[in-house]
Amino acid sequence: MNRHPYLRAYLAGIAVPTVFLLIVMSAYTVIRYVYAVPLAIEKVIVFPMAGVPNAWGLWNVLYAAFGRRHISLGLFGGALPLLLAPGGYVVTRLLGFSVPEHVLSVAPFALPVGLILYYLVWKYFVGFLNAELGIA
Amino acid sequence: MSEREVDEVRKLLKKFVPTVRDTELRRDLWPAMLKRMEQPPVHVPWWDWALLAGVALLFCLFPGMIPALLYHL
Repeated sequence: MNRHPYLRAYLAGIAVPTVFLLIVMSAYTVIRYVYAVPLAIEKVIVFPMAGVPNAWGLWNVLYAAFGRRHISLGLFGGALPLLLAPGGYVVTRLLGFSVPEHVLSVAPFALPVGLILYYLVWKYFVGFLNAELGIA
Repeated sequence: MSEREVDEVRKLLKKFVPTVRDTELRRDLWPAMLKRMEQPPVHVPWWDWALLAGVALLFCLFPGMIPALLYHL
Protein backbone atom coordinates (compact mmCIF):
# COMPACT_ATOMS: atom_id res chain seq x y z
CA MET A 1 0.00 0.00 0.00
CA ASN A 2 2.36 2.69 -1.22
CA ARG A 3 0.01 4.93 -3.16
CA HIS A 4 -1.36 8.27 -1.98
CA PRO A 5 0.15 8.31 1.54
CA TYR A 6 -1.07 11.85 2.24
CA LEU A 7 -4.62 11.04 1.22
CA ARG A 8 -4.55 8.06 3.58
CA ALA A 9 -3.10 10.24 6.33
CA TYR A 10 -5.87 12.80 5.82
CA LEU A 11 -8.57 10.13 5.96
CA ALA A 12 -7.07 8.58 9.10
CA GLY A 13 -6.96 12.03 10.68
CA ILE A 14 -10.55 13.05 10.03
CA ALA A 15 -12.04 9.68 11.00
CA VAL A 16 -11.92 10.11 14.78
CA PRO A 17 -13.49 13.59 15.09
CA THR A 18 -16.06 12.73 12.42
CA VAL A 19 -17.31 9.74 14.40
CA PHE A 20 -17.16 11.69 17.64
CA LEU A 21 -19.06 14.57 16.05
CA LEU A 22 -22.04 12.29 15.49
CA ILE A 23 -22.26 11.69 19.24
CA VAL A 24 -21.77 15.36 20.08
CA MET A 25 -24.36 16.53 17.55
CA SER A 26 -26.91 13.99 18.80
CA ALA A 27 -26.41 15.17 22.37
CA TYR A 28 -26.58 18.80 21.27
CA THR A 29 -29.80 18.25 19.31
CA VAL A 30 -31.47 16.60 22.31
CA ILE A 31 -30.32 19.37 24.67
CA ARG A 32 -31.29 22.19 22.33
CA TYR A 33 -34.59 20.97 20.90
CA VAL A 34 -35.92 18.45 23.42
CA TYR A 35 -34.96 20.29 26.60
CA ALA A 36 -35.11 23.74 24.90
CA VAL A 37 -31.85 25.00 26.39
CA PRO A 38 -31.44 28.63 25.20
CA LEU A 39 -27.92 28.36 23.76
CA ALA A 40 -27.72 29.18 20.06
CA ILE A 41 -24.71 27.01 19.21
CA GLU A 42 -25.96 26.67 15.63
CA LYS A 43 -24.39 30.09 15.01
CA VAL A 44 -20.90 28.72 15.59
CA ILE A 45 -21.42 25.03 14.84
CA VAL A 46 -19.47 25.38 11.60
CA PHE A 47 -16.24 25.32 13.57
CA PRO A 48 -16.59 21.84 15.15
CA MET A 49 -18.46 20.47 12.13
CA ALA A 50 -16.09 21.57 9.38
CA GLY A 51 -13.03 23.18 10.88
CA VAL A 52 -12.01 20.64 13.49
CA PRO A 53 -12.18 17.42 11.39
CA ASN A 54 -10.30 19.10 8.54
CA ALA A 55 -7.72 20.39 10.97
CA TRP A 56 -7.21 16.83 12.25
CA GLY A 57 -6.82 15.51 8.71
CA LEU A 58 -4.36 18.20 7.70
CA TRP A 59 -2.45 17.82 10.99
CA ASN A 60 -2.04 14.12 10.28
CA VAL A 61 -0.85 14.92 6.75
CA LEU A 62 1.75 17.24 8.29
CA TYR A 63 2.79 14.46 10.63
CA ALA A 64 3.09 11.98 7.77
CA ALA A 65 5.12 14.47 5.74
CA PHE A 66 7.45 15.96 8.34
CA GLY A 67 6.82 14.82 11.89
CA ARG A 68 7.05 11.07 12.07
CA ARG A 69 10.82 10.91 12.06
CA HIS A 70 11.25 13.51 14.77
CA ILE A 71 8.35 13.35 17.23
CA SER A 72 5.83 10.85 18.55
CA LEU A 73 2.29 10.99 17.20
CA GLY A 74 0.84 11.58 20.68
CA LEU A 75 2.92 14.69 21.28
CA PHE A 76 2.35 15.97 17.75
CA GLY A 77 -1.43 15.53 18.02
CA GLY A 78 -1.41 16.87 21.56
CA ALA A 79 -0.16 20.20 20.25
CA LEU A 80 -3.17 20.67 17.96
CA PRO A 81 -5.37 22.31 20.68
CA LEU A 82 -2.81 25.13 20.80
CA LEU A 83 -4.13 26.09 17.36
CA LEU A 84 -7.75 25.00 17.73
CA ALA A 85 -8.48 26.73 21.04
CA PRO A 86 -7.69 30.25 19.82
CA GLY A 87 -9.27 29.42 16.47
CA GLY A 88 -12.51 28.38 18.13
CA TYR A 89 -12.51 31.47 20.29
CA VAL A 90 -11.96 33.73 17.28
CA VAL A 91 -14.90 32.08 15.49
CA THR A 92 -17.19 32.73 18.45
CA ARG A 93 -16.09 36.38 18.57
CA LEU A 94 -16.44 36.93 14.82
CA LEU A 95 -19.94 35.46 14.79
CA GLY A 96 -21.06 37.34 17.87
CA PHE A 97 -21.64 34.25 20.00
CA SER A 98 -21.51 34.99 23.71
CA VAL A 99 -19.74 32.19 25.55
CA PRO A 100 -21.47 31.44 28.89
CA GLU A 101 -19.63 32.87 31.91
CA HIS A 102 -19.21 29.50 33.66
CA VAL A 103 -17.51 28.08 30.55
CA LEU A 104 -15.10 31.02 30.31
CA SER A 105 -14.24 30.74 34.00
CA VAL A 106 -12.88 27.18 33.59
CA ALA A 107 -10.88 27.94 30.44
CA PRO A 108 -7.50 27.85 32.29
CA PHE A 109 -8.25 24.24 33.28
CA ALA A 110 -9.80 23.30 29.95
CA LEU A 111 -6.66 23.91 27.88
CA PRO A 112 -4.37 21.45 29.74
CA VAL A 113 -7.21 18.92 29.86
CA GLY A 114 -7.66 19.36 26.10
CA LEU A 115 -3.93 18.86 25.56
CA ILE A 116 -4.01 15.62 27.57
CA LEU A 117 -7.12 14.33 25.82
CA TYR A 118 -5.69 15.11 22.40
CA TYR A 119 -2.42 13.41 23.36
CA LEU A 120 -4.27 10.24 24.36
CA VAL A 121 -6.67 10.21 21.41
CA TRP A 122 -3.90 10.83 18.88
CA LYS A 123 -1.59 8.30 20.46
CA TYR A 124 -4.10 5.44 20.54
CA PHE A 125 -6.93 6.11 18.08
CA VAL A 126 -5.23 8.01 15.28
CA GLY A 127 -2.11 5.89 15.82
CA PHE A 128 -4.19 2.74 15.33
CA LEU A 129 -5.72 4.10 12.12
CA ASN A 130 -2.31 5.23 10.84
CA ALA A 131 -0.93 1.75 11.45
CA GLU A 132 -3.91 0.12 9.73
CA LEU A 133 -3.51 2.36 6.69
CA GLY A 134 0.23 1.83 6.51
CA ILE A 135 1.25 5.35 7.45
CA ALA A 136 3.01 4.78 10.77
CA MET B 1 -34.85 -19.54 -23.81
CA SER B 2 -33.95 -21.75 -26.76
CA GLU B 3 -30.57 -23.38 -27.32
CA ARG B 4 -29.80 -20.95 -30.10
CA GLU B 5 -30.50 -17.95 -27.87
CA VAL B 6 -28.30 -19.40 -25.15
CA ASP B 7 -25.49 -19.75 -27.69
CA GLU B 8 -25.96 -16.16 -28.80
CA VAL B 9 -25.83 -14.91 -25.24
CA ARG B 10 -22.70 -16.99 -24.62
CA LYS B 11 -21.04 -15.52 -27.71
CA LEU B 12 -22.01 -11.98 -26.72
CA LEU B 13 -20.69 -12.48 -23.22
CA LYS B 14 -17.41 -13.85 -24.53
CA LYS B 15 -17.17 -10.95 -26.93
CA PHE B 16 -17.81 -8.12 -24.47
CA VAL B 17 -16.61 -9.42 -21.12
CA PRO B 18 -12.82 -9.54 -21.22
CA THR B 19 -11.07 -12.67 -20.08
CA VAL B 20 -9.49 -12.24 -16.67
CA ARG B 21 -5.78 -12.88 -16.81
CA ASP B 22 -3.16 -12.80 -14.10
CA THR B 23 -5.44 -13.98 -11.33
CA GLU B 24 -2.57 -14.82 -8.98
CA LEU B 25 -1.90 -12.53 -6.01
CA ARG B 26 1.03 -10.20 -6.52
CA ARG B 27 2.49 -11.17 -3.16
CA ASP B 28 1.97 -13.79 -0.52
CA LEU B 29 -0.37 -12.41 2.15
CA TRP B 30 0.18 -15.19 4.68
CA PRO B 31 3.49 -13.84 6.16
CA ALA B 32 1.79 -10.49 6.82
CA MET B 33 -1.08 -12.32 8.49
CA LEU B 34 1.36 -14.27 10.70
CA LYS B 35 3.18 -11.07 11.58
CA ARG B 36 -0.10 -9.44 12.60
CA MET B 37 -1.09 -12.44 14.74
CA GLU B 38 2.27 -12.38 16.53
CA GLN B 39 1.98 -8.70 17.46
CA PRO B 40 1.55 -8.16 21.21
CA PRO B 41 -1.70 -6.52 22.36
CA VAL B 42 -1.65 -2.76 22.87
CA HIS B 43 0.19 -1.88 26.06
CA VAL B 44 -1.01 1.25 27.86
CA PRO B 45 1.71 2.62 30.18
CA TRP B 46 0.80 3.63 33.72
CA TRP B 47 1.31 7.37 33.08
CA ASP B 48 -1.35 7.34 30.38
CA TRP B 49 -3.79 5.78 32.86
CA ALA B 50 -2.75 8.48 35.36
CA LEU B 51 -3.41 11.23 32.80
CA LEU B 52 -6.82 9.75 32.01
CA ALA B 53 -7.69 9.55 35.70
CA GLY B 54 -6.58 13.16 36.19
CA VAL B 55 -8.79 14.28 33.31
CA ALA B 56 -11.76 12.37 34.72
CA LEU B 57 -11.17 13.99 38.13
CA LEU B 58 -11.04 17.48 36.58
CA PHE B 59 -14.27 16.76 34.70
CA CYS B 60 -15.92 15.97 38.02
CA LEU B 61 -14.50 19.07 39.70
CA PHE B 62 -15.15 21.48 36.80
CA PRO B 63 -18.03 20.17 34.65
CA GLY B 64 -18.28 23.59 32.99
CA MET B 65 -15.25 22.74 30.85
CA ILE B 66 -17.01 19.82 29.14
CA PRO B 67 -18.97 21.96 26.61
CA ALA B 68 -15.82 23.94 25.76
CA LEU B 69 -13.91 20.72 25.10
CA LEU B 70 -16.74 19.20 23.07
CA TYR B 71 -16.71 22.35 20.94
CA HIS B 72 -13.04 21.80 20.11
CA LEU B 73 -13.05 18.03 19.63
